[in-house]
Amino acid sequence: MLKVENLRAGYGAINVLWDVSLNFPLGELTAIIGPNGAGKSTLLKAVMGLVPTTQGSVSLDGYPLTDRATWDMASLGLALIPEGRMVFRDMTVEENLTMGAFPKPHRAALGRNLERVFGLFPKLRERRRQLAGSLSGGEAQMLAMGRGLMSEPRVLLIDEPSLGLAPVIVREIFDILRGLKQQGVTIVLVEQNTRMALGLADGVYLMRAGRVILAERAAAVDIDRLHDLYFAREGAAGDVADAVFK
Amino acid sequence: MRRSAYLFLAVCYVVVPLAFGGNNYLMGLVVSSLIVAGVAVAWALLGNLGGMVSFGHAAFFGVGAYASALLSMKLGVPVLLAIPLAGLIAVLFSVAMLPALRLSGPYFALAILAYAQIFRILATEMEFLTHGSGGISQIPVLPTIAGFDLSSRTGQFLLLLTLLAAFLATYDLIRRSHYGIALRAMHDSEDATRVVGVNSVLLKSWMLFVSAFMTGVIGAVNAHVINFLEPDYAFSGGWSVLPIVAAIFGGYRTVTGPAIGAVVIYLVDQLVFKALVSTGHQIILGSVLALMILFAPDGLLPLLRNALRRMRGGSHA
Repeated sequence: MLKVENLRAGYGAINVLWDVSLNFPLGELTAIIGPNGAGKSTLLKAVMGLVPTTQGSVSLDGYPLTDRATWDMASLGLALIPEGRMVFRDMTVEENLTMGAFPKPHRAALGRNLERVFGLFPKLRERRRQLAGSLSGGEAQMLAMGRGLMSEPRVLLIDEPSLGLAPVIVREIFDILRGLKQQGVTIVLVEQNTRMALGLADGVYLMRAGRVILAERAAAVDIDRLHDLYFAREGAAGDVADAVFK
Repeated sequence: MRRSAYLFLAVCYVVVPLAFGGNNYLMGLVVSSLIVAGVAVAWALLGNLGGMVSFGHAAFFGVGAYASALLSMKLGVPVLLAIPLAGLIAVLFSVAMLPALRLSGPYFALAILAYAQIFRILATEMEFLTHGSGGISQIPVLPTIAGFDLSSRTGQFLLLLTLLAAFLATYDLIRRSHYGIALRAMHDSEDATRVVGVNSVLLKSWMLFVSAFMTGVIGAVNAHVINFLEPDYAFSGGWSVLPIVAAIFGGYRTVTGPAIGAVVIYLVDQLVFKALVSTGHQIILGSVLALMILFAPDGLLPLLRNALRRMRGGSHA
């Protein structure tokens, strides 16, 4: 289990996460949804050590991650597919994927994983010699995902993979996520596309303004109530306290 | 391209001493241009691979020069051993620069600029070791190895050319390794590079160390070539600026560009511009550089490559 306990994190003087606690059971896909500025991306970055934490802890199977450096995370089995893809624009598709297997043990399995990623995303094989900066948004997202998978992560953190993409591409990407889940990869999916995320998720967290305001099994979620909480509509405020203690 | 670079070097080994070996003045200029070339390559390695623009390579140059002079004079270390040791001492001093690696862009440039000044002052004030502003004279010359006099102009030339070739090969090797790919990736997104498992701070530190070593070695060789050191010379801002000018002129994104740029601008400045305008000839150099930055910002080497490609009939290579 990837466990986040009482985590407080932010950017210097600006605190973003206010003592959040979340559990991500192994083998499950957990969706984190919520409006802009809820702290979803900051949470993923804090888990990876990209944002300094001031309180609380993160652990994987009881093993503390809080004080580990970001560059250690790949070896510990975590991969982040960041918001906005962050592909290496001046490098080819294949070089981008090679970078995904940088730590020595992963480098040894480079060829096998390259084939696996090309199998998942045939488009990337076609474009392997092309510069990543010249890819379309959907292809860049696939490249970012492929790069994340090159280290054979146990836990995959994905930040808004559907952002700005055509529905047909979004469906393709969600199909890949479903396949990864079936292979036993633990997935934490930050997503604004609530319906699609709920269709795939085992557990759901709703965040708003740096706090977790709902934690439920995906099957039990009442979508209308979720939307009321999401948009902080009148009458939903009373439910917040209940939801937190569920 | 790589093969042609090595071929060019091999030709230089033979042709330059044969053609100019008899002319001590000309060979002296060639030797000086290779000194600038060595620092330019070291600077470009840190700037292009490490992504850090340094205005303080004079620090490593001066430390290398003083270290080798003092090792050979006070401790009697053989000159050819003192030179690599001086490189290591420059690395040791570059460790003090490590905190600045957390800074980026202009902040790093300013920090390293200040750092170089500290060393000039130290060398001036620590009179018991460096003889202060009076300087050190009679620094031992390069030795004679197997009957071959390295202290002759031709000997100095061959030693420096060998060092330059070694630097270029090292640079090329690093650039093509997976560390080189990681360093290139860091230019795009350091966060994304760390996420995939690259210890970016360590990698940048290594580039600083390699660059400091190369610069220290060149500073050391120069000390044994000119046999005299004073703080204002060894830590002169010129040792920081000239390599930058040379690297940008030659094409600092290429491996060989900085070396070629250094030799070309140094020799053209000394032989052509100086003959045209004896005092203030640097003004022509400055104008040429300004024009290069405006019209060929990638530098001389990419400019020539493109011209060559066009001459071959514009076919895509």
